[in-house]
Amino acid sequence: MCLGIPMEILDINGYIARCGARGVEREVNLFLLQETPLKPGDHVIVHVGYALQKISPEEARSAWELFDQMLDAPGHA
Amino acid sequence: MPRSAQDWLDLIRALPLEGRRVRVMNVCGGHERSIAQAGLRGALPSSIELIPGPGCPVCVCPEEDVYEAIQLALRENVLLTAFGDMLRVPVNAPKGEPRSLEQAKARGADIRPIASPMEAAALARANPQRTVVFFAAGFETTMAPVAAMVLEAPPPNLLLLLSGRLTWPAVAMLLNSDRPGFDALVAPGHVATVMGANEWRFIVEDHGLPAAVAGFSPQSLLAALYSVLRQLLERHPFLDNCYPELVTPAGNATARRLLDQAFTVDEANWRGVGVIPASGFTLRPHLAAHDARLRYPSPADAQRKRAGQMPPGCDCAQVVLGRIYPDECRLYGRACRPDAPIGPCMVSDEGACRIWWASGVRTPRAA
Repeated sequence: MCLGIPMEILDINGYIARCGARGVEREVNLFLLQETPLKPGDHVIVHVGYALQKISPEEARSAWELFDQMLDAPGHA
Repeated sequence: MPRSAQDWLDLIRALPLEGRRVRVMNVCGGHERSIAQAGLRGALPSSIELIPGPGCPVCVCPEEDVYEAIQLALRENVLLTAFGDMLRVPVNAPKGEPRSLEQAKARGADIRPIASPMEAAALARANPQRTVVFFAAGFETTMAPVAAMVLEAPPPNLLLLLSGRLTWPAVAMLLNSDRPGFDALVAPGHVATVMGANEWRFIVEDHGLPAAVAGFSPQSLLAALYSVLRQLLERHPFLDNCYPELVTPAGNATARRLLDQAFTVDEANWRGVGVIPASGFTLRPHLAAHDARLRYPSPADAQRKRAGQMPPGCDCAQVVLGRIYPDECRLYGRACRPDAPIGPCMVSDEGACRIWWASGVRTPRAA
């Protein structure tokens, strides 16, 4: 339940950002990062619809590789 | 060039452990899933034990709270919403009564699984004539978003039934007991992202044990494991941060401030564990209008059989405390399986039993 997913910010409207990852788009709440300067193209770690922390694009990529491994793992529920 | 998982394994195997038994606890379902799926236990020297501890917020959510949520959901005009994991958690209800939110839903209660606190607020906005109760369990990582939602002026018909918990007090409770059961700790990466690595300094400073914050890749977990093993061998425990790309010493200052604005921290009950001081979130008085417990007093529960306990025969309490492995439970793989779970550790995606099952452990350990 505490797992975060890296997403890229596509655009920002107030505290709501449209974020994308691997072709999936979601509304993400930025309230927990209201003191962090964010702009489209930045990456964030998202947990239950809220951005928890800004991350670098390289970190986002390596986190996605891990995620793919976990989703591909046999017996994933 | 960052080290690969294989590099870390080689480094660990080269440590002069000489068969010395070392028990390393993790307190995060995400860590346990990575360990199980990557098969790290089988790849490590057999003297190193990786123990899943209290890392599943659904598993430790009080049975009484789930029962209360069921009773609320059965009320006329209440729409109850919860993270999907909560719906199948079993309670010890009297015969003929629903024993989970899922069973209450089958009997007509309006219960909606959600994946974000934002959806709870949206449900309340879309149903202004109804009372929407958000049954929110989770650790700090999840409770920070819940705090954000309730501070962002949700509609007045949204109530919270809070079962949020802090992670570290359960570890402190274990360390203060006569049977801590571990020699080093791998601290949870996303909890520390929010709360800061410093929240785990007490492991080192109060108890003299090695600790390292880890991310969720096998590399990060093995780096943390290597760190705590070296700390043990060198008798020099310190708090290492093996997830520096996300975790800072003080965490997300905004998130911590919002948590503090929304909640007080009070003693709280953990299913199968008991009451732990300063371990649970309660809504602050200025948010009392959103507190389901103030609007609807808890159902009289004193007479209910096995209230608060795990289901009969279920060893989840021992699993949660890291005292036995999932496959040492009397019910694992026999009566208790993901398609017909008995205990919460087999229900939740964060539960150690569910994770072990998903990674292929299908039979109980031979006694």
